[in-house]
Amino acid sequence: MSDESQRCHGMRDLLPADMARFRRVEAAFRDACLAWGYQEVRTPTIEHLHLFTAAGTLAPHMLGRVYSFLDWDGWSGERVVLRPDATIGAARLFVEHMRGEKLAKLFYIQNVFRFAGGDEPREGWQCGVELLGDTQPRGDVELVLLGWRVLECLGVAPAEVRLSHPGIVRAVLAQAGLEPAEQVRAYDRVLDSDPSVVGELEGRLPDLGASLRLLLEGEGSGSAYLANVRNTFAGAVPGLAWPLDELTVVVKALGALGVRCRVATAAVGSFEYYTGPVFQFAAGGRPLGGGGRYDGLIALVGGPSLPASGFALDADKLASLLPSPEAGALERAVAVQPISEQSEVLAAAFATADALRGLGLWTEVALAIDQSSACRWRVTVGPKGEAMTFTLYDASTRRRRSFADLDGVTAALEVTAGAP
Amino acid sequence: MPLKLALPGGQLARRVDALLARAGLAISGYSDGSRSYRPRLPERDGVLLRVFREKDIPIQIALGNYHLGICGLASVQEQLVRYPSEALVMLRPLPLPPVGLYVGAPQSEGPTTLADLAGRRGLRLVSEFPDLAEAFALAARLPAYRIFPVWGAAEVYPPEDADLAVVAAASEQEVIGHGLAPLHRLLAGPPWLIAHRGSLQEKDLSPLLGPLMALDGAGAPAGRADTLLELPAVPMAAGSAPAPRIASERVRVALPDGHQQPSAATILRNAGLSFAGYDEEGWVRRPTSSIAGLEVKVIRPHDMPQQVALGNFDLAISGRDCLLEHHCRFPASPVAEAVDLGGGQFDLSAVVSQDLPAESLAQAMAIWRAQGVGSIRVASEFPAIADDYARTHRFWRYQVIPIGGASEGFVPEDAELLIEGIQTGRTLAENNLKAIDRFLRSTTCLLAGRREVSGRKGKLLAQLIERFREAANQRAAGG
Repeated sequence: MSDESQRCHGMRDLLPADMARFRRVEAAFRDACLAWGYQEVRTPTIEHLHLFTAAGTLAPHMLGRVYSFLDWDGWSGERVVLRPDATIGAARLFVEHMRGEKLAKLFYIQNVFRFAGGDEPREGWQCGVELLGDTQPRGDVELVLLGWRVLECLGVAPAEVRLSHPGIVRAVLAQAGLEPAEQVRAYDRVLDSDPSVVGELEGRLPDLGASLRLLLEGEGSGSAYLANVRNTFAGAVPGLAWPLDELTVVVKALGALGVRCRVATAAVGSFEYYTGPVFQFAAGGRPLGGGGRYDGLIALVGGPSLPASGFALDADKLASLLPSPEAGALERAVAVQPISEQSEVLAAAFATADALRGLGLWTEVALAIDQSSACRWRVTVGPKGEAMTFTLYDASTRRRRSFADLDGVTAALEVTAGAP
Repeated sequence: MPLKLALPGGQLARRVDALLARAGLAISGYSDGSRSYRPRLPERDGVLLRVFREKDIPIQIALGNYHLGICGLASVQEQLVRYPSEALVMLRPLPLPPVGLYVGAPQSEGPTTLADLAGRRGLRLVSEFPDLAEAFALAARLPAYRIFPVWGAAEVYPPEDADLAVVAAASEQEVIGHGLAPLHRLLAGPPWLIAHRGSLQEKDLSPLLGPLMALDGAGAPAGRADTLLELPAVPMAAGSAPAPRIASERVRVALPDGHQQPSAATILRNAGLSFAGYDEEGWVRRPTSSIAGLEVKVIRPHDMPQQVALGNFDLAISGRDCLLEHHCRFPASPVAEAVDLGGGQFDLSAVVSQDLPAESLAQAMAIWRAQGVGSIRVASEFPAIADDYARTHRFWRYQVIPIGGASEGFVPEDAELLIEGIQTGRTLAENNLKAIDRFLRSTTCLLAGRREVSGRKGKLLAQLIERFREAANQRAAGG
């Protein structure tokens, strides 16, 4: 075997410690969603490409990086795609199965696939929430708060939320006098972080007063900053009033709840489908996920005109911030060691393990004779005359006790297991 | 390592040959009818030339298999739009006639401007440049579009079998001459000299680069690749419902162009069928029939199985190799061989270099394993068949290199193995190749859909199939 990895570029193996951290993220997210009244769903890994190419779903730079192909029955030319984003699949699920409902609160933990260069990950895991129904502005506040609580539960700190609104960029584009087609293209350039677009827009807005960069690239704290933006730009760009109003309600409510908010007026994220307040979670300057309002998406995938919003946390990034699994978890772990390969001894060892698992203890049978173990407890099972003998060893105290039957062992460990 | 230049075959070869001569690089064995894909540059040691189909050249340059290449702008952009690569550098346009790539619509009842496309669901785009067609569809925000890559004759598909065609043409007038209304020009320009970036940085390319860069009359200055592609910006609009497609009441037959055309004409004559504009001497894209309810189009044989599967055509005269390629890719496709017509026989074969001391695939694999070949490169115009062949023969690790032609030049430098059709074996011998496994006898066959067709159309269809069957039986009996 050569040293060269046989793993595909951008794909990752999760080792036991990685999985332990990943499961902690999943558990914290899932527990929080269930406690807030959300229901779990799962959508297929493969979807039709056209769901994503329709106007207003994914930005062109993302569409150029999806894994799309013709399926084995794709002679009709209908391409399919490895899910590049979970929200659009969830919207399709709603339209197909729940379209009559006025309100749906859904969550999922799913992988998404997007091409990235070099060793950058091409598969990511999203802990996502979708809130489908007319909930503005309460839903916007709830979603940010729910994500914030998950971060708190995981001990990810100091976290912050950056808020923005795509209506701000769109208002500027309209004020600049761009034709609708030019607005679409310019908006995509903003999504693609094209630095030249600001200069071009400034040339079209000579009466702006202050630098457009201040509006499109600046950021500040909470409602105070929003007030400043309003005073500086709303006179020259009247279309800014409604997005600033929407943002102000959300920012003030969250501030009162102790959520640290930064306002980055035009950091609209990577998705064309956002229509209202957009937010991003970060810790130490590192983005951990985000979401926003996407009132047009349900109609774009063939459903009714229904407002909606949602967010997703990046499970991989969150897991990477967590400490290694604690050794303390082994406090309640037991290794059962049969001292020979005789069938009676093996049967007694496995029966012992079953009984201890019944007490809620993590119990493994040592599958190799010389297997070392990090478990606190070790039970050695061996023959003594016609019967079996059981020796219980506590690695923390180095104390050893022998029992003539299994009941003695279980009675001794019941305290550890917390059993009555 | 020699200095390697990739040259285009096909129609561009003659012009490039003359251009190179003008640059003081007179080549022998290039566009003079030679079957070899390795022309020579006399009196210049250390220069290796190879002829490829145009579309394969940017791939070879990006991979670093060749240092320099010459090919059409559309072929370069087709590669870059799907696989943007820093490794491919566009050096300069060459003083050769420009060619454009146009999006064309049917001249009657089709859209007349790009704005007419906004929000139209389910548009079918056909092109020899499927990745550029897709880039157009994405930029124009066409909802639920479908791209149909074809080997050629894209212009003949609209309006019945496609809504838009993305076609190469010298001018808008040429597009109109094809029966299409040009909606948008995606690009236009002469062929380009391209290079591998790493080679530019580390290898002295001056024996070729000097004369080629010194050529005058180069036309437009070199630009960035992304500025050469003119993608549309179309206003967003809600997607309309797809227009229902009404099945044709006529029996639609696809006939082959290219080298299969003379034998197909003979087959038709033997079956007692004659179409104005299609005989042993030549063809037009839309021959006419005196049989009521029968419609005929001439397209590439490679494209026929999918067209029959889609229901665009009821019958098609193609090769078994094309049908197998389609079924390897789409096993449940509703197209089948209705009649073995018997003509155009050749063997699909595994082909290696004559220098490889192997007479069978097993021996070849043993040698490659002993040589430490980590990944067996399999080049073929039939990538799905090649993939199936590699899987069923348990290649340990392999790459299928889809190519558009000129395949005999790939072995041994750029591939270990070819999956290739062999008729006489003469071209193989001239390129120092040999077959080690002839695994499929391919003949011309009549393709038909597996769906049931009733009424008058069904009756005519059955009569036509029977005519072909009788002709095939007579042929088999030596009649």
